[in-house]
Amino acid sequence: MFAVDLRPLLPALIVAVTALVVLLAQAFTPKGSRSPSMGLTATGLAGALLLSLTMAADARYGRGASTGGTYVADDFALFFHVLLIGLALMATLLSPAYYRENGGERGEYYTLMLFSLVGMLGLVSTTEMISMFVALEIMSVALYALAGTRRDQIESQESALKYFVTGAFASAFLLFGMALLYGLSGSTQLARVARGVAEAGPEQLPLAVLGCGMLIVGFGFKVASVPFHMWTPDVYEGAPTTVTALMAAGVKAAAFGGFLRVFLGSLSGRLPDGTYFSAEWIPALAALAAITMVIGNLGALAQSNLKRMLAFSSVAHAGYLMSGMVGQSEAAGQAVLFYLVAYGAVNMGTFGLLASLSKGGREPLSLQDVAGLGERRPALAAALTVFLISLTGVPISAGFVGKFYLFGAAVNAGYTSLAIVGVLMSVVSAFYYLRVVVAMYMREGEGEDAWAVPEASARLSLLVAVVVTLGLGVWPAPVLDLARAAALAL
Amino acid sequence: MGASNYLLSLLLLLPLLGAVVIALSPRANVGLQKTLGMAFSLATFALSLLLVTGFQPVAEMQFVERYDWIPAYGISFHLGVDGLSLWLVILTTFLTPVALLGSWSSIEQRVKEFNVFMLLLEVGMLGVFFALDLFVFYIFWEAMLIPMYFLIGIWGHGRRIYAAVKFFLYTMAGSVLMLVAFLVLYKETGAVGFGLAELLRRPVDPALQFWLFLAFALAFAIKVPMFPFHTWLPDAHVEAPTAGSVILAGVLLKMGGYGFLRLAMPLFPQAALEMAPWIALLAVIGIIYGALVSLVQPDMKKLVAYSSVSHLGFVMLGVAAFSTTSVTGAVYQMLNHGISTGALFLMVGMLYDRRHTREISEFGGLKTVMPWFSALFLMVGLSSIAVPGFNGFVGEFLILVGSWRAFPGMVIAASLGVILAAAYILWMIQRVLYGEVTNPKNEKLADLSPRELAVLLPLVFLAVYMGIFSPQFTRTIEPSVAALVRDVRAAGAPAHNAAALPAAADAR
Repeated sequence: MFAVDLRPLLPALIVAVTALVVLLAQAFTPKGSRSPSMGLTATGLAGALLLSLTMAADARYGRGASTGGTYVADDFALFFHVLLIGLALMATLLSPAYYRENGGERGEYYTLMLFSLVGMLGLVSTTEMISMFVALEIMSVALYALAGTRRDQIESQESALKYFVTGAFASAFLLFGMALLYGLSGSTQLARVARGVAEAGPEQLPLAVLGCGMLIVGFGFKVASVPFHMWTPDVYEGAPTTVTALMAAGVKAAAFGGFLRVFLGSLSGRLPDGTYFSAEWIPALAALAAITMVIGNLGALAQSNLKRMLAFSSVAHAGYLMSGMVGQSEAAGQAVLFYLVAYGAVNMGTFGLLASLSKGGREPLSLQDVAGLGERRPALAAALTVFLISLTGVPISAGFVGKFYLFGAAVNAGYTSLAIVGVLMSVVSAFYYLRVVVAMYMREGEGEDAWAVPEASARLSLLVAVVVTLGLGVWPAPVLDLARAAALAL
Repeated sequence: MGASNYLLSLLLLLPLLGAVVIALSPRANVGLQKTLGMAFSLATFALSLLLVTGFQPVAEMQFVERYDWIPAYGISFHLGVDGLSLWLVILTTFLTPVALLGSWSSIEQRVKEFNVFMLLLEVGMLGVFFALDLFVFYIFWEAMLIPMYFLIGIWGHGRRIYAAVKFFLYTMAGSVLMLVAFLVLYKETGAVGFGLAELLRRPVDPALQFWLFLAFALAFAIKVPMFPFHTWLPDAHVEAPTAGSVILAGVLLKMGGYGFLRLAMPLFPQAALEMAPWIALLAVIGIIYGALVSLVQPDMKKLVAYSSVSHLGFVMLGVAAFSTTSVTGAVYQMLNHGISTGALFLMVGMLYDRRHTREISEFGGLKTVMPWFSALFLMVGLSSIAVPGFNGFVGEFLILVGSWRAFPGMVIAASLGVILAAAYILWMIQRVLYGEVTNPKNEKLADLSPRELAVLLPLVFLAVYMGIFSPQFTRTIEPSVAALVRDVRAAGAPAHNAAALPAAADAR
């Protein structure tokens, strides 16, 4: 009983300790001197990243281990560890300049970000529903506060409040769904839940379906799928841009991680009558995916604010990801995981680029703001073009390979119509992404170049995003293989 | 074999390297960028000539290269050239330096980006012609859109942004359904990966063939463009800068016809043969419609743009008739169209550089002011209307003769297009070159500069050479076409022997 293997928890522990150290360091930093928060955060994250990579490389360092059967370091969890910590590291590198230009760097910003990361790591690693719920709340509560860190801005406050209220709503659904499944199976362990569902007789099946539906609603909120997406544009717009980047890239990945673990990992078992339980929720998921792709893309079409446009695009991408999930197989899991990497890098890059241009409390938010960027900032404009091309899903970019596998998974599961909706909506999306490219390259900028020159750390972060986006487009095989191994661990 | 084992990769890498080198060159040194662009495109052309010298006139794929790309899914970077693609490859490597030289002095802004995009476009086009794996094909097919989009949108005229976005969305909308068709094909045939040879070995259920063929045909019909999917073309052609129009008309439009021949017809033979009359009908409508619209254009560039709809109609008629003669003619006509229409766009661009207008009514009597220009314009015009002795004649003749057995009525209607072509081209030539100099602005126009002559003379030379020595080209085209026609006809026959199909596919 005492031989509890703590290794799976180590990366999250490092992140949590870093959070505390940053908080203390901030308190003891004399006024006026340079804050060490960013450096400490980056160091802690780099350490956690290194540890996760080491664990993933070799079973001796904890790969496949489990802490008391509730918290595991399987391939799936480690895949997400590397992705999420990497994204948080990129966000950290983007943050100092943004906060300097927009009202002071604060230590608690980094602390909150790190705590939210702890929640994300927990969400993808736990195999027990209560721990999962707690992890989700750790992630979310920190984000509610982060969304409101620009205290001088009413939009930021609105964003925080809105995120909190809808988030609490989503949590309630999730908890209710978990309670129903617990009632059915008598356990909160996902493995036992899976068995309970599989053994459910005809009279218990409605309970399982209802619980399952509640969970879909809860996760639907977190991944921003239609019709649970209403918070997304306001929250993405109001939150500080670096936080939006973390929400769009990291939170979506973590939420899909939990979603996959529960649904593909546990709620897909074979029922006594020979059919699979997944047949109960796959049609619903497919329908949600279809309307999410349609509404997300049509919504984005109508936006003039770049952050709102990207928010709707994030909704649309939840739809693409869900249509991959419909495939159920490990190929489907693989497609979703690969796309989360591609999408995470691209979104971190896009929002990060907007953030790193911000100067004196303003940031480029409209098409006029980016007009002429192609001539004024050739490198940045080229980077943004790469991101937008990847979001559209045009080769040679990670987004293309990702969509290819997502829709391939849908087609393989017999949902060809879903793939058709997806590709046609990608054409619609090309229209609004191209608008930005048109503004950058084909229109003249007005007045002086009013934007900041990104500092070295931000440039590094953007460079990583570009390299990942193009690299996965040209040579996707290694990450696809890792994603497959991770999906097989479910 | 040595270097020829890597020839196709080198042909892709060389312009790519050029693009990178130019991108890294100092922004201020415009002359260097132009020279580099020229040097790399010429080197690519020279290298591509090794394909011609090393090519054997047989049906098999040659210069084949294959590298694992995404091994777990059987996707490999599989390249090769046969009679269908050989000359289209040469056309691409030839037209790229021609287009660059043609816009040597008319592109003054963002020269660096211009050269980068032109070379990237070349990589994309070559990749499409080389690809023997559907995934690779699609990657290049779509990636090609991006540089073209920028070429139209940045260096185009008046409504360039509208035209660029329309071009991009139209082409993408067509090709995404083909992507879904790839995925369905992969699933239904149970093939390992997306290799063309592998897929050809696995016959597709006839009912499914229909839908898949439709998805492929839409992508290719938009690219050709076939009536009624042509509406993006006049906008894109007219607003694009000269170099863009040359490449667009010269190479990009060929990809539609090439796609039909390389993918859509061999993969779905039954559906293809079943739908052939409809394709032929649309092709003939395109021939007549394009010609009639050309006839009434007051703008020279629009006239040339619509004439492409008409000319490509001939190509598609040859493809639809699907006899060895007609398909050989179609492939040959693609080359001819690339040369004659490319030259026409260049010459219209040269007039535009001088007068900043392309209205036919603004000109007249140029024969006395610009004798060299007029002589070459006339020759290019004659090549375009397929006068015997010029390249166009060979292509159109082969198409019409080869299509007669399948669609006699359509051939008669198409012949009307030949007459109309003579009408609109000659009428334009008459109004622009002959008569008195009515507009005083035309009195002092300079004749062709040495650079412009250097651009045009090779094209005019080829137009004549290909008209006289056509067997040198058809000799290499025909074996591949004959094998293709034989296989598709065998597999597409209504009561074909299922066992014969794999054997036929292996023989290719």
